[in-house]
Amino acid sequence: MVANFALWSILMLPVLTAGLCLLLGSPKRIMWVVAVGGGGWAVFAGAVACTALSSVSITAARNWLLLDALSAYHMSVLAVVFGASSIYARRYFQGEISAGTLSPSAARKFGALWFGSVAAMASVLLCNNLGFMWVGIEATTLLTAFLICVHITPLSLEAMWKYLVVCSVGVAFAFVGTLLVASAAQALGHNAGDMLLWTVLRADAGGLAPGPMKVAFIFLVVGYGTKAGLAPLHSWLPDAHSQAPAPVSALLSGFILNAALYCIMRYLPLVEAATGEIGWGRQLLVVLGIASMVVAAAFILFQHDGKRLLAYSSIEHMGIITLGLGLGGLGTFAGLWHVLNHSVCKTLAFFSVGWLGQMYGTHDLGRIAGAMRRSPVWGFSFFASVLVLIGVAPFAIFMSELQILRAAVDGHAYVILGIFLGAVGIVFVGALRLVLAPAWGREVIVPKPQPAELGDLLLVFAGLGLLLLLGLWLPVPLREAMESAAQIIRGGP
Amino acid sequence: MNNLVAIEGILIAVILTDLLLLGSSRLRTCIRMVGIQGVVAGLLPILLHHAENPLRAWLLAAGSVAIKGVVFPLLLLRVLRDVGVRREVEPFIGYTSSLMAGVAALIFSLWVGSRVTLPGTSSASSLMIPAGLATILIGLVVIITRRKAVSQVLGYIVVENGIYVFGVSLVGGVPALVELGVLMDAFVAVLLMGIAIHHISREFDHTDVDRLDQLKG
Repeated sequence: MVANFALWSILMLPVLTAGLCLLLGSPKRIMWVVAVGGGGWAVFAGAVACTALSSVSITAARNWLLLDALSAYHMSVLAVVFGASSIYARRYFQGEISAGTLSPSAARKFGALWFGSVAAMASVLLCNNLGFMWVGIEATTLLTAFLICVHITPLSLEAMWKYLVVCSVGVAFAFVGTLLVASAAQALGHNAGDMLLWTVLRADAGGLAPGPMKVAFIFLVVGYGTKAGLAPLHSWLPDAHSQAPAPVSALLSGFILNAALYCIMRYLPLVEAATGEIGWGRQLLVVLGIASMVVAAAFILFQHDGKRLLAYSSIEHMGIITLGLGLGGLGTFAGLWHVLNHSVCKTLAFFSVGWLGQMYGTHDLGRIAGAMRRSPVWGFSFFASVLVLIGVAPFAIFMSELQILRAAVDGHAYVILGIFLGAVGIVFVGALRLVLAPAWGREVIVPKPQPAELGDLLLVFAGLGLLLLLGLWLPVPLREAMESAAQIIRGGP
Repeated sequence: MNNLVAIEGILIAVILTDLLLLGSSRLRTCIRMVGIQGVVAGLLPILLHHAENPLRAWLLAAGSVAIKGVVFPLLLLRVLRDVGVRREVEPFIGYTSSLMAGVAALIFSLWVGSRVTLPGTSSASSLMIPAGLATILIGLVVIITRRKAVSQVLGYIVVENGIYVFGVSLVGGVPALVELGVLMDAFVAVLLMGIAIHHISREFDHTDVDRLDQLKG
């Protein structure tokens, strides 16, 4: 009863708030609803997720909704990213509202789609039925498409069109994969209602026909990999991330990519069990992970736009997580840890570059030179978060990457180790070169002043503090939660 | 036995509409073809699954005929009127070559269909899987080779139709609720693409997707 209430509330509260946003007239009020409603939802969803992490998994609606360690872990990442982004969104649009450039209809559209998309993301995590999980992923594409062009400009329309078409068609392949899994599951003899439930499939995964499962997994990885931005299927990602308003970029990068990877995590134990635990599915992920890292490293060298830099860094980090999953063992744990670290850090980085963009009217890193002097809080935050992203010790991203390296050494995968180090090294040098100008460069244009508030300072320090803390000391409950989530991906008891 | 004739007739109709779509430059005709394809493909569940689960079969058929056969064509014809486009001009691959590509896709699909037997697919017709696969591939050809945004939407719908044919061939299949969710997603996707085309034609004065190339690198 309580479980039913809790899980349904996670899904329904954002839908109701989205409706509320449509009823309001003033952009200012809508942004308050976004901040308060988003923060409140994050606290609630985070609390439910923590309950599920510390005890047993929660099921509701006759097993159609499930919150086990893996989904609860992702739910808490979503809560952090969405809560912070909602609070930040109000600050981000404040200047535009007082300047009158955010029309009431655009604000309504933003509010409604913002909460709609979080409902879709939560449904991806909560649905035990793999078909509905797919419906949820497709719904996130559709709901976030118009968030990219809150301000309709030629560039944002171009980015939105590519996002909509590439992701819809790409994700359609994942549905073919889902159908193939259903066909493989026919042999298990469950009725149609239970056939695609993940828990049911997991229990009998050894009995799934290996041939169809292999084909299915290829389709699933291509489909969900497109949405997760894995190279060579990433073409939509830099455009969408660079054209969206900063809170939306943060949500796209901080969670939507992870939602798609989460789907792959669900299928990995199924295909591994069906093919006899020989690591067939994991090898595929290793290849894609490495490819993403290499492609991202190559493109990062030629960037000059701050948001595109962060977008390519997202491709790199999605590659690192995928590689971790592919290596298995310790790598699975490290990959999951990397999910949290990357999401927190990338969210903060997009907040910072978005704020600087509002001040300078551009995201070109050469033109926002000297930003750290003009806005000590956000300028410092941008510089520091990029340093953390490229793997400076002792922050958490460095530590999780180190664990993935250890997993590679454990598996005697020295070629992978070499490519990993090479790619990370190139990204380090390339990105560092780019962010020196905003930090200390000579000023090119005089920005319009937008003083930071105490809240901004708290947000920055909470983010960086969390990353430092997790790098130095991983609390035991969190470690255990991640370990049990990793155990779900690895399969076994 | 009658059923089998009807099913194979439908599958052939699906493939014919695929090929007509590839060979036609008039967007109005293309939209009609995709609409007809939606209607005939939508009827499949009634023929295939009626005996096991009549409610599911009728629900699915009614939903997909209404959305793919009526709503999509009306919506797209309206977009066409607003935007003022009539023809696909100079696709990247000419009509004859894209027809050839379509035939190649069909042959490939028949070959795959003859090699692969999936557990749990119905034995109603050996054409089911090839027809679905060929339709998916031809939809991709349309998306890749055509310039106008409307054509890309048509390609997306054709891919959806192909997946639908593929999905229907599973005995028992996925739960009806999931299928309806998928249909809902496709509906919203096409609706959003329609709105997006409207905005694109207002901002750019054209709807040529290949000229949306400002973002690169």
